[in-house]
Amino acid sequence: MVLEIIVMVKQVPDSQEVVIDPVTMNLNRSLTRNVTNSADENALEAALRIKDKVGANVTVISMGPPQAETTMIECLARGADRAILASDRFFGGADTYPTGLTIAATISKIGKFDIIFAGEESSDSSTGHVGPGVAEFLNIDQITYASSVDYEDGYVTADRELEGGTETVRVPTPVLVTVLLNSNSPRMQTLRRKIDAVKKGMEVWDHDKIGLQPEWVGVRGSPTIVRKMRPIKERERAAKKIDVAGLGDLARELYEKKILKLEEE
Amino acid sequence: MAGIKMATPAAKPEEYKNVFVFLETREDKLVRPALEMIGVGKRIADKVGEKLYCLLLGGNIKDEAKEAVSYGCDIVLGAESPDLSVYRTLPYSKIISDFVKEEKPNIFLIPATRNGRDLASRIAVSCEAGVTADCTELDIEQDTRILSANRPTYGESMLAEILCKKHRPQMATARAGIFPVPDRVKSPKGEIRINSVKVDKSLLKKEVLEFKKKNAVDLTAAKVVVSGGMGLGKADGFKLIEELASEIGGVVGSTRPAADMGWISRDHQVGQTGQTVRPRLYVAAGISGKIQHIMGMKNSETIIAINTDPNAEIIKYSDYVINADLYEAIPALVNSIREEKKKLAPAAGK
Repeated sequence: MVLEIIVMVKQVPDSQEVVIDPVTMNLNRSLTRNVTNSADENALEAALRIKDKVGANVTVISMGPPQAETTMIECLARGADRAILASDRFFGGADTYPTGLTIAATISKIGKFDIIFAGEESSDSSTGHVGPGVAEFLNIDQITYASSVDYEDGYVTADRELEGGTETVRVPTPVLVTVLLNSNSPRMQTLRRKIDAVKKGMEVWDHDKIGLQPEWVGVRGSPTIVRKMRPIKERERAAKKIDVAGLGDLARELYEKKILKLEEE
Repeated sequence: MAGIKMATPAAKPEEYKNVFVFLETREDKLVRPALEMIGVGKRIADKVGEKLYCLLLGGNIKDEAKEAVSYGCDIVLGAESPDLSVYRTLPYSKIISDFVKEEKPNIFLIPATRNGRDLASRIAVSCEAGVTADCTELDIEQDTRILSANRPTYGESMLAEILCKKHRPQMATARAGIFPVPDRVKSPKGEIRINSVKVDKSLLKKEVLEFKKKNAVDLTAAKVVVSGGMGLGKADGFKLIEELASEIGGVVGSTRPAADMGWISRDHQVGQTGQTVRPRLYVAAGISGKIQHIMGMKNSETIIAINTDPNAEIIKYSDYVINADLYEAIPALVNSIREEKKKLAPAAGK
């Protein structure tokens, strides 16, 4: 039986070009270009390498507005077999809970799956919470922050990069794996594949098709709300200019003000 | 199993009381972010006159439970089993979710470390709670007992304040290195409740085959950090950085590009993809001040920049700016420090 792999992807504003509306303090979406979240490209590549090795059906799924089509087509052009966009006006304004719920319900609707891949986090919200949330909704195990992933005979083996070192784990499928940014080099889209991808196109599923009630999802299904946004004000610093001749004075000042302490050295 | 279902608001939010924090361990020892959680959790609990509960799981946790009490924890809720000696998602999330469902805390804080994030979202889904990720400011409103969870967004340029009004507990993960480690309390009188537990086999299918420890320099605990960037121009430049660091009792840090060049190991990296530091003194030598680096060091108490470019971004974040070639300035600074120490040494000896 062929391996079924799902890859969760997200279209995000290009972090190089984020424009904040000075009145609403929100992202000005019309002035910001959208791109595929980079870590999700690494997740797709990890999936395609398993497909190369043992054969697999790779389905990319996303939740987002219709313009996420460019991301979905791009994923097909890189080698995914199927693209499903969960898109519905009811999905807007979701926090991590209904986002995970919507994606998990979409995956359930697809049916059988062996491995679910996602990027470690999205560059725009940086929570890293949606992947593990999906795993909890689907009641499966997970491997987060993977720097390398391998599959053999029903088991996924992966290295996890943690603060204190690298942990190697082995988990039987089904399992959800979140992949570290820059952990591999995503393959290029070829012209041939691009043409096929456009021909194939994506499927768009709404709440009804997925089997979700409108009040479960989007802003209505979100436990958290944003009360306000404010610019981060940095502490004003003096930037006192010191030339090389003044370093003696600086050294004295550092000890006088106890910025340096003799007893610690 | 969570199942595909919506998050139901708490029927009676007023029944949820007290503050939970998760104490992360490595080899059954508390990690620094665990102590940071005790500090922030205690502050929030005290403000509304509630208790701080510390959740501690592991193979042998009795000593660390006492340690948690010594830092001000009121009640340690512990689960002990050889199967819990290494963090694994499923047994930890199941046991902790059960604690939450039984004790009904108003607030639950988890360090935003990698394992902390691995855990937090599973518990939030399992308990139908709201969770705010990677907070850098946390407070509680006294009358409503609503958690004000603040997190940086849009490339750290904005701070979003996020509330969870109807769902309980109100969960947050807190960025490591932001909240201070509390002082030990004078006469600790917390209560320790540790249960030996039997973990269901179905939760233990993940095998942890190996853990390769990084000999990482713990920059987060350092009082003084001296960092070098691309302005060093070559790997040898780090010898100069080391010389200054050792003269002033500091540790060596670096920017990501300098580590990318292979001039120094990644273990020294400060910034978004490295460690977040807040030492008493941070020296940035040959560092232009890209946002990714600034994020990891801007909360340092005092910052000295050594840079030839008078318009470098780092200068905005600096208390002192040595506008000179670092190959000239650092040896001169080392000399000045030595001279100053000679003057001070007799006084210090008295």
